[in-house]
Amino acid sequence: MHPARKQRLILVIFLVVFSSAAVGFITYAMRNNMDYFYAPSAFAAGEVPFDKRIRAGGCVLPGSVKRAPDSLDVRFAITDGKAELQVVFDKILPDLFAEGEAAVVTGRLLQDGTLRADQVLAKHDENYTPPEVAESMHDKASCAGGAKI
Amino acid sequence: MSMLDAPTGRRVAPGFGVLFKTELLLALRHRADIANPLLFFVTVLALLPLGVGPEPALLAKMASGMIWVMALLATLLSQESLFRGDFENGSLEQMALSPQPLYFAVLAKSMVHWMVTGLPLALLSPLLGLMLNLPAAGYLCLFFSLLLGSASLSLVGAVGAALTVALSRPGLLLALIVMPLYVPVLIFGTGAVQAAIDGYGYSAQLAVLAAYLAAAAALAPLAAAGAIRISTET
Amino acid sequence: MEVFLAWQWFHRLGSPRWFYQKTGAWLPWLALASAVLLATGAVWGLGFAPEDAKQGNSYRIIYIHVPAAFLALAGYYIMAVGGAIGLIWKMKLSFAVMRAAAPIGAVLTFIALFTGALWGKPTWGTYWVWDARITSMLILLFLYIGVIALGRAFAREQVADKACALLALVGTVNIPIIYKSVDWWFTLHQPATIRLTKASSIDPSMFYPLLTMIAGFYCFYAWTLIAHTRVLLLQREWRTQWVREALVEEK
Repeated sequence: MHPARKQRLILVIFLVVFSSAAVGFITYAMRNNMDYFYAPSAFAAGEVPFDKRIRAGGCVLPGSVKRAPDSLDVRFAITDGKAELQVVFDKILPDLFAEGEAAVVTGRLLQDGTLRADQVLAKHDENYTPPEVAESMHDKASCAGGAKI
Repeated sequence: MSMLDAPTGRRVAPGFGVLFKTELLLALRHRADIANPLLFFVTVLALLPLGVGPEPALLAKMASGMIWVMALLATLLSQESLFRGDFENGSLEQMALSPQPLYFAVLAKSMVHWMVTGLPLALLSPLLGLMLNLPAAGYLCLFFSLLLGSASLSLVGAVGAALTVALSRPGLLLALIVMPLYVPVLIFGTGAVQAAIDGYGYSAQLAVLAAYLAAAAALAPLAAAGAIRISTET
Repeated sequence: MEVFLAWQWFHRLGSPRWFYQKTGAWLPWLALASAVLLATGAVWGLGFAPEDAKQGNSYRIIYIHVPAAFLALAGYYIMAVGGAIGLIWKMKLSFAVMRAAAPIGAVLTFIALFTGALWGKPTWGTYWVWDARITSMLILLFLYIGVIALGRAFAREQVADKACALLALVGTVNIPIIYKSVDWWFTLHQPATIRLTKASSIDPSMFYPLLTMIAGFYCFYAWTLIAHTRVLLLQREWRTQWVREALVEEK
C-alpha cells in the first residue's frame, strides 16, 4: 500500500479506537452513582453509608416540619413516596422551602438514621402556574404525587 | 526522512517512532524546561501551609484541590513552548508541508510533553500530599487521576499552543483559550480524589477521565494540526 | 441553468458589498421590531402576567433570563457555523459575522448567568451552585471570551479569522452538554419548561409574554449582529471603492 495512504489508514484506525474507548468509558461511568445522591427509600433499605457526606432529595412531608421555639433548629421528613427520611438542620431555610415541595439536602447520616444536614436547598420544578389555576387543580403540593426530583 | 525510509510500506507509521524518539531526546536535553514547571509546582504548594496556616484539618480539606489546580497551572506553563522551538527554526512548517498526517507529529509531541511534565507531577504528588496532610485514602487516587488527567491536559493544551505559536507575546492568551477545555478534567479529577477520601469507590470518575483522554487523543491532535496549518501559512 | 443561478446567488450572498447595501434598509425595521416586542413583552410579563403559585413575583426574571440563555446558545452556533462556512468556502462575510457574534454572545451569556444568580438566591437559597448546567454555561462564557481574545491577538486579520473559527468549532461540543445537562445529571437547575415535542409546562398567561420576549431578543440579536457585521466590513474593506462611496454617502 502506498505509504501515505497507509498512514491515513492508521490515523483512521486510531480515531475509531479512541472514540470507541471514550464512549465505552463514559457508558461505564454513567452507570455508577457519582453524585452520591440517595432517595429516602435507599436510606430505608440500608444502602447509604454512615457518617459520609451525601445528598438526599425528596418531597417535604406535609405536617412533618417542627421548629424549635428558641433556636433555628428544625426537623422535617422527606419522602419519595415509598419511605421517609428524618432530617435535622440548624440554619436558615430558603424561601421556597415548604411542605409538599421538593428539597435537596446535603449532610451526614447519623447512627440513629437521621440525616444531619449542613445545606438545604429548595428545588423548584419546571412548572409555572398562576395561583388560581393551581388552586383549581388542587395542586398545592408539587411533588406529593411522586413527581421526579 | 520518514517517507524515504519505507519504500516497501512494510513498517507501520515509520515516522512516528522516529519522531517520538527525537522529541524525547530533545526534551531531555532541555532539562530546564522540565524542571521549571515541577519546581513551580512544588514551591507553590510548599508555600500553601505558610499562607493558610498549618492547621491540619484545613490543609487536609484543601489538599486535593490545591494539588490538582497547581498541576493544571504547571502544565499550562510548559505548554507554551511545545511548538515554539520548531516554529522558530522552520521545522514546524516542514512538518505541515510533509505528506505525513500532522496528527502523528502532534501526538508524538504531546506524549513526550506528558512524559516530562504530567508524569513527574503524578509521581511527585504523594510527596506533596504528605506535605499538605492529604488523608491516607486519597493518595492512590490522586496519583492515578493526575496520571490520566495530565495526559488529557497535554493533548488539549497542544491545541492552544498551536493556535498561539505564531504570536510574539501570547501571554495569558493560551491559558484563557484552553481553560474551558481544562475545566472538566479538573472537576472529575478532584471529584475522584474527594470520593476516595470520603471512602467511596472512584472508578466512575476515573472512567470519565479515561473517556476524556480517549476523546482528546482522537480529536485534539486533529484540531492542533489545523491550528498549525493556520499558524504557519504565509 | 438553475444550478448556475443558485451558485450565483450563493456567491453574491458572500459579497461584503452586497450584504452592506442590502442590510442597510433592514436595520431600522429590525430596531423597530425589537423595541416593540421587547417593550410589549416586558410590560406584559412584568406587569400583567399573574404571579406564580409557588415563587410569587420572583419568577418574573424568567422574562429576561430565558431569552438571554436561548440567544447565548443559538448565538454560539451562529458564530461556529459562520466560522465553518468561512473555513470551507473562504467567505469573508462569513468570518465577519463570526467575529461580530462573539461579543454579543458573551454579553448574553453573562446576562443569563447574572439573572440566574439573582433568581437563585430567593428561590433555591443560593446565588451560585456548581451544578452541571450552571458550570457549563460558565464554560460557554469562557469560550466566547477566548474567541474574542484570540481574534485580537493576531496582526493579520485572515489568520485571526481562521484561528477563531477553529477555536469556536472546538467549543461547539459544549452546547449539547449545556442543553442536556439537566436531563443527564442531577442538577439543581430544573429541566426545560418549553418543550418542542410535548406541551410546555407553563401556563399560557405566562407563556405568551415569554414568547414575545424571546421573539424580541431574537430581533434584537439580529439587529446588533447585522449592525456589528456592517461596522466590521467597513473596517476590513476600507480600501475598496464601495466603502469610500458608502462613507461619503453617510455624511
